[in-house]
Amino acid sequence: MELALDRPVKTFVEVTEVWVPKGDTLVLAEGYYGTLTAFEEASRQTAFAKGEGLPGKAWAEARPVVLKGFDGSYFKRIEAAREAGLTSAVAIPVFAGKELKAVLVVLCGDDENRTGAIEVWAEKDGVLMLDDGYYGAAKHFEWVSQHTQFPRGQGLPGGVWSAETPILMRDLGSGYRFVRAESAGKAGLTTGLGLPVPVPGGKSFVLTLLSALGTPIARRFEIWDARRAGRGEAVLIDGICAREGPLWTGEAEPERKVSAWQGLVGRALGTGVPVVESGVPGLSAGYDTMTALPIHRAGEVSHIVAWYC
Amino acid sequence: MQKLVVIGAGMASGRVLEHLRDTAPDAFEITLFNAEPRGNYNRIMLSPVLSGEKSYEEIVTHDDGWYGAGKVNCRFGEKVISIDRDRKVVVGEKGEVSYDKLIIGTGSSPFIIPLPGHDKPGVVAYRDLEDTNAMIEAAGKPGSRAVVIGGGLLGLEAAAGLRLRGMDVTVLHIMGHLMERQLDEAAGYLLKKDLEKRGIDVLLRASTKEIRGRDRVEDVLLEDGTVLPADIVVMAVGIRPSVQLAKDAGLDCGRAIIVDAQMQTSDPAIYAVGECVEFDGNIFGLVAPLYDQAKVLARSLLGEVDAFAMRELSTKLKVTGCDLFSAGDFAEGEGREDIVFRDPARGVYKRLVIEEDRLVGAVMYGDTGDGNWYFGLIKDGTDVSAMRETLIFGPAYQGGASADPLAAVAALPDDAEICGCNGVCKGDIVSAIEAGAGDLGAIRATTKASASCGTCTGLVEQVLAVTLGDDFQMPAAQPVCGCTDLTHEDVRRLIKAQELKSQPAVWQELGWKTPNGCHVCRPAVNFYLLADWPLDYQDDPQSRFVNERNHANIQKDGTYSVMPRMWGGMTNAQELRAIADAADKYNAVVKVTGGQRIDLLGIKKEDLPAIWSDMNDAGMVSGHAYTKGLRTVKTCVGSDWCRFGTQDSTGLGIILEKRLWGSWTPHKVKLGVSGCPRNCAEATCKDVGIICVDSGYQIGVGGAAGMDVKEVERLHDARTEEETIEWTVAFVQLYREHAKYLDRAYKWIAKVGLDWVRDTLADDAERAALVERFDISQSVYQKDPWAERASPEAARHFKPLADLTLEAAE
Repeated sequence: MELALDRPVKTFVEVTEVWVPKGDTLVLAEGYYGTLTAFEEASRQTAFAKGEGLPGKAWAEARPVVLKGFDGSYFKRIEAAREAGLTSAVAIPVFAGKELKAVLVVLCGDDENRTGAIEVWAEKDGVLMLDDGYYGAAKHFEWVSQHTQFPRGQGLPGGVWSAETPILMRDLGSGYRFVRAESAGKAGLTTGLGLPVPVPGGKSFVLTLLSALGTPIARRFEIWDARRAGRGEAVLIDGICAREGPLWTGEAEPERKVSAWQGLVGRALGTGVPVVESGVPGLSAGYDTMTALPIHRAGEVSHIVAWYC
Repeated sequence: MQKLVVIGAGMASGRVLEHLRDTAPDAFEITLFNAEPRGNYNRIMLSPVLSGEKSYEEIVTHDDGWYGAGKVNCRFGEKVISIDRDRKVVVGEKGEVSYDKLIIGTGSSPFIIPLPGHDKPGVVAYRDLEDTNAMIEAAGKPGSRAVVIGGGLLGLEAAAGLRLRGMDVTVLHIMGHLMERQLDEAAGYLLKKDLEKRGIDVLLRASTKEIRGRDRVEDVLLEDGTVLPADIVVMAVGIRPSVQLAKDAGLDCGRAIIVDAQMQTSDPAIYAVGECVEFDGNIFGLVAPLYDQAKVLARSLLGEVDAFAMRELSTKLKVTGCDLFSAGDFAEGEGREDIVFRDPARGVYKRLVIEEDRLVGAVMYGDTGDGNWYFGLIKDGTDVSAMRETLIFGPAYQGGASADPLAAVAALPDDAEICGCNGVCKGDIVSAIEAGAGDLGAIRATTKASASCGTCTGLVEQVLAVTLGDDFQMPAAQPVCGCTDLTHEDVRRLIKAQELKSQPAVWQELGWKTPNGCHVCRPAVNFYLLADWPLDYQDDPQSRFVNERNHANIQKDGTYSVMPRMWGGMTNAQELRAIADAADKYNAVVKVTGGQRIDLLGIKKEDLPAIWSDMNDAGMVSGHAYTKGLRTVKTCVGSDWCRFGTQDSTGLGIILEKRLWGSWTPHKVKLGVSGCPRNCAEATCKDVGIICVDSGYQIGVGGAAGMDVKEVERLHDARTEEETIEWTVAFVQLYREHAKYLDRAYKWIAKVGLDWVRDTLADDAERAALVERFDISQSVYQKDPWAERASPEAARHFKPLADLTLEAAE
């Protein structure tokens, strides 16, 4: 299996934060900062009003936002970020209908050696176009992506868009009609997780996390179907892990389920808010960090995607 | 140690080997043949491999290490040529192997329709890894197009996979809805809609004529002349058990290899398992029973007692985001009761079929989370009478949730969305009510809630009731029938607004409470659809009243009447002779009607096609005396013969009848054209009555002379015959497009007001557009039903089912 390389690697994402509304502002609920304690400290003392800074912008504009290069921008923690070597960030709002449940922010450092992609695709004129994305060293792939569009049902973004469901793809580099696939193959990108980002107003956004062998965004991906939320449980429908191999179960095998509040995925199911945890019991397969992002549809959690490093 | 030979390394035989390894690893020396150059993999997960959502490595069930650890002698890539039962040897391409026990697991092969061109390069079946890889390779070429023949599980999974890979994909399905063996029409409609949302074209009732191309596939020609360019054609129309080897060995075979409940064939040393077996008349295609068979077979080989039994099966489609579930028997039948739940905004459809207090079938689309719970109820035959009321809401609701809708609405927070179409929350509606909006119309005007699809209308009314208390009176608008809370007017409006072009679309998108409507709503919806979408909608004879279905009026003694059309009431000697001959031949009673026709009464149903044929031979067509459509155009003799006639009323009547006949209308339409105000044609009590005067033509509408007697009201004074025809045609089309089914024109005019009708038709552009739309409809519907049904093949439908005369004589 192409993903099944389990060796210590430098992670593509360095910081993951969950900002939740409290009154008129967003406050930090939890985050993973690794060794970047100064940045963590600066973050914990920060709050964002609607429209303020990156999380506030994602809230106010009700859309995922990619920000590359903080200097001179609306980013509020410029100084701390510069000292931590962070240069780019993606903010993903989590809405349940019109209600903002949280904003998930991931921050990356500029590195000529780290390849991967975090992309935001937006509908324009009936096709999905790249809104923006962070690619690390995958410059050619970035250029190709900027010049690619996906009709409904085609490719990872188009597939997620039309299915309104997270999709986890293997082997992005071959067997596709798109020039982008060829470029993905050259960049070493193999595994792709795509998920819809529902926002009020009905505009369609798709977030993709594309992982390369050497600098994976994550070494374990999971997709949970939570549409039995009325019964308080979610079922693992797809997943792949560098340590445990395929995580999905066959048709005649028992399902892997969690109840609301059962473990970290259960917490995301119960609260409807993203979970970022590190170094706690209950992390699958001995990984250090885990991010679980709930997706809401019709006012309820419909899916949870989780990734582990 | 006994020698066990296994032919075929599929999922069923693989499961047998797993059981043997778990329970008796040293019982057999095993040789495993497989024609494919590999061992066992999870074949049903090939679809996610095709789509890119799984890798082949992930679906390998038994790798080399597994076989090695079990000391299985693998002969992969080697076909078995024959089985010599006398010598108890299997003859492979590379030599013989003797056996004490033999398992045949040859599976099935795809069925290939022997169309012209089916053997061209580029035509692939969908069965194994090679087929999957061929499709992936084809998808990799820029601009490539695929045609998938077959709208069943495999075909649709192939289509979705190829689409994700970037191909333009068209699915051809010969039946009226997708996956007709697993889904009912409503779920099939949602599935089609879901696939189309992915950019996949789906053609139903599509019959393939030929696969064409010079050196390889280039296009697919359909019977209706449609040509679909294709770089690859995927044939996914079904499978056939692979039994030739067993047949050649002389084993008992029916449709497949016949086995008993221990999976033993007619030879006690030979067993069979999987898709190649026939048990109790059944053959198999889903994995669950194969695994049951495998377990029984393994135990039988070890001398343990076990027996295979059929069990209920459920179906799932492996297309990410297409959530469907079907289990049990969901055919309609006497004594069966349906419970239907629809949520158009979420694309959800659930249908449960109950018989004698037991759940016997379940079909679900969009929300299948409770599928396994229902499946359990079906399998166990659980008595569901105690949970009948809440059964459709699933297990979470068993044990009693509040059933009072007002209490539920009262408990909703202000930000709860009420109208999904326009994003209107409960708080918005409450604010509007507080600002003075006191009824549904005012809420629609101020907030737009319930102004689009209308399905939240009840909810909005409940918010009104919760907020205003006794001040709000629930409106008493009459729904079409018990299948829906919507009125006819709502249904008509929504069919247009939402571009609903099929009955399943109406049932689903408008939240019908029954699977397929009832005898009340079906004829209405059938009319609305054919009137609004003549080119898209296919008329459904089953949704018509018996007279329209049989194209004749049934009489009180069970015989029928036949009435040929006489244009404008004119006839001639030749037609009269033919009518007289037919009266003799079919022993008919002859009656002259009030609409200037001749009616032949007392015709037996089985004679209808023959008498229609005789009438056709004499140049006459159906008079449509049985339809909600144009009946007669009654005329006087007009200026040609009458001293008082001012215009050619007969000629105008004939022109109008020839223009309007065959069109379906909300109710019957009768016309009259009188040549002068003396009104001999009694035009002033017709749906459209024209009185000719010296200065032109007075067009009146909305007359009646039945249960209600009513004089026409003046619509317009036309100066010329052409203008009269244009106004008349436009009026009929306006009536077709707006009236409630079974409202005569006068009732419709009373509702909408003659001023509105007149103002609409007075607009030159609107009038021309109405005429154009009428003519488009006539291009489809102006055809003689007699001519279509006079053929011997069609005549069979009119034959009695049993010879009652003979039975009576006996």
